[in-house]
Amino acid sequence: MRHSFIDRFANLDSPLHALDARTKLLGFAALIVAILLIPQGRDFIFFSYFFFIAIFAGISQIPLGFIVRRALTILPFIILATLAAPWRGIAGLSTLFLRAILCLIVVIVLTNTTRFVELLRGLRGLGCPQVLASNLGFLYRYLFVLTEEFMQMRQARDCRRVGRAPFRKELAIMGSMLGTLLVRSFEHAERMYKAMLSRGYAGEFPVANPHRFSWPDLVFLLAITLFVWTTFFGFPLPRI
Amino acid sequence: MHIPDGFLSTRIAVSLDAISGATILYASRRVRFATSDRLIPVMGVLAAFVFASQMLNFPIIGGTSGHLVGGALLGILLGPMAGFLTMATVLIAQALFLQDGGLLALGANIFNIGAVTAFVGHGTYSLLGGGKGNPKRVTFAGFVAAFLSLIASAACCALQLALSGTIPLQIGLPAMVGYHAVIGMIEGGLTAGILSFLLHVRPDLLNSDIKPKLNILDWAGALILVAIPAAILATAGSSGLPDPLQGLLISNAPPPPSAADAQQLLSSGRFTDYAFRLGIFFLFVCIVYIAARLAPGRRHSP
Amino acid sequence: MSEYAVRITRLNYTYPDGCKALDGIDLDVRIGERVGIVGPSGAGKSTLLLHLNGVLMGTGLVRIMGLTLEQKNLQQIRRQVGLVFQDPNDQLFCPTVYEDISFGPMNLGIPAQEIPSRVGKSLLDAGLDQSMGSRTSHHLSLGERKRVALASVLAMDPAILAMDEPMSNLDPRNRRHLIELIAGLPATLILATHEMELVVALCQRTVVMDRGKIWADGSTPDLLGNAELMNSHGLEVPLSLKKN
Repeated sequence: MRHSFIDRFANLDSPLHALDARTKLLGFAALIVAILLIPQGRDFIFFSYFFFIAIFAGISQIPLGFIVRRALTILPFIILATLAAPWRGIAGLSTLFLRAILCLIVVIVLTNTTRFVELLRGLRGLGCPQVLASNLGFLYRYLFVLTEEFMQMRQARDCRRVGRAPFRKELAIMGSMLGTLLVRSFEHAERMYKAMLSRGYAGEFPVANPHRFSWPDLVFLLAITLFVWTTFFGFPLPRI
Repeated sequence: MHIPDGFLSTRIAVSLDAISGATILYASRRVRFATSDRLIPVMGVLAAFVFASQMLNFPIIGGTSGHLVGGALLGILLGPMAGFLTMATVLIAQALFLQDGGLLALGANIFNIGAVTAFVGHGTYSLLGGGKGNPKRVTFAGFVAAFLSLIASAACCALQLALSGTIPLQIGLPAMVGYHAVIGMIEGGLTAGILSFLLHVRPDLLNSDIKPKLNILDWAGALILVAIPAAILATAGSSGLPDPLQGLLISNAPPPPSAADAQQLLSSGRFTDYAFRLGIFFLFVCIVYIAARLAPGRRHSP
Repeated sequence: MSEYAVRITRLNYTYPDGCKALDGIDLDVRIGERVGIVGPSGAGKSTLLLHLNGVLMGTGLVRIMGLTLEQKNLQQIRRQVGLVFQDPNDQLFCPTVYEDISFGPMNLGIPAQEIPSRVGKSLLDAGLDQSMGSRTSHHLSLGERKRVALASVLAMDPAILAMDEPMSNLDPRNRRHLIELIAGLPATLILATHEMELVVALCQRTVVMDRGKIWADGSTPDLLGNAELMNSHGLEVPLSLKKN
């Protein structure tokens, strides 16, 4: 198992990939807020956002099939929501659908144009608490280790089983496999702590030089601001 | 359940973002200054553990699959503050990389799946005497704690959806709570199993000294977090609700259209017309995308 | 300035679960020396290494480069002692190789602008390509990970290099390369292992440890060639020293 869902397209080369993570986080978050604020029934505005994001998605070089597949995972939720409140009607349904799928695509573009490490640095730069950042870093690092260990355990177990055990037994076996994995996790943590101490860890995680803010970042943010402004307040720009 | 973006009204989403953000900041400070350094690597690796467990489904009866959520377990092992932070880490990672749950809805998801589960799990476990170390107690308390944590979390989720006008309470609450009652059995079973395994193999982990000690503020917060879903569940069934709450039940929806209206609304003519237009629209979007992708000189930076 | 890198006097350590791991250890290592600590599994070798930089603290006296090991000068001592653990997986815990290698220097307070050159030099010293920095540790082979772990320790420029089973699980080619690498490092070397050939290749002096005590201390050929000594402590005379 690889980290195929993390950093899968993050190593491509596009202008979006080159931007500072903080810029992307701020810009795309602003887009999401804007999308959530679009009043119901103004489908034209939704559609313009679609075009806007399609431009970003295209520039980012992320394959279309991937984006579409990921975006469609929203469907079960939409269906559930419609069944629960059918008086919403076509208008309500389409608003919900467009809103949800737009936000989803924004996040897909964000995370697939930013390497995980960059994202982490960006979060730190935006004021994310140190504990959370270090947790995310360790999660990234140890996810692979633990999944591999689990696969090995499962393989070892499969070698020794015949047919399927009753549900309660399966649950118990799963419980002890997870329990073993949990104990191993603690042991990893203990050894990691010793290694950290040995390399001078004293409670602080020093932050490396953050990416510098430059021209392209400004243009990106400006583009988003202009677009959102236009869609909410219309042309033209403030009188000079 | 991870709520995607667009399902919560902006007001609800943003206020929950604020609540969760504040709790994260508070918990981070408490964890950093009140405990041993050793907790830091433990939280990180356990975050990986929970993330991995949530990805590892195992089949139950009939083609559905279940997995461990882990909030109660973390609350029990690390205490509610550190347990909450670890779950928050997992949820952030899931939102960013699996697009499991929205970005602005993160606050709500962290609250429901992180805070509520960790606090309810820890509180229930302690109240039921799980900390004593008696194997039967541990299993029982663990099961109940995990089960209740999911129920409480589901109730909060249903409330948020109702307040946003997405899914009315009288449908959302029974659906969410009912579904999570079933899932909760699995969560309870797995949690109880893991805890008794630990008791056997590494009992020192169950009463580890790296757990942050709780102070008055922690308990106050925990009480509030438990009280909210409890109140919802208690009042949900009754019809003698105060007026504002009554409004929630119908969630600001217009009166259901009459049969004739419904007929017209859902008539195949209008539907196919809309679908056709949508199809053309998406075609245009794809063209724009391809143009943007192939345009070599077209840069977003000078 | 003391000529001793390490001076340990009457060191005792008991684990919280009651197991006595170190029993009256006396050990002096001169600056520039290369010492191999051999013994069967469970002898206490790893535990001893963990006392060199204060990760574990027992009763008795430990002096590193003239400094007495105590709570208040732990940071200074950790600057001097580079400890390479047996399993690189737990020594590499940052998202990228660059961050792992820079972790040590940053903790020591090395100014930010010097860090990239430090990392570059460490990669070089460990025989790794400069492009390694942006890679993630779990994409590396075991041999590469061991070298990155070594690099992460070398980046702190320690006077003493302590290694715990550095060759475990390595294939012959990687072993050879790693041995050459270590042979070329200037630091004082303390090597804990149960692989006799390694000690023969790298260390002039050997210390035999068993059940928490030191049983013999002398030149490598003398000790490792002594069949009786080796066998009584669960070890074997290495092939290269066997007299046919």
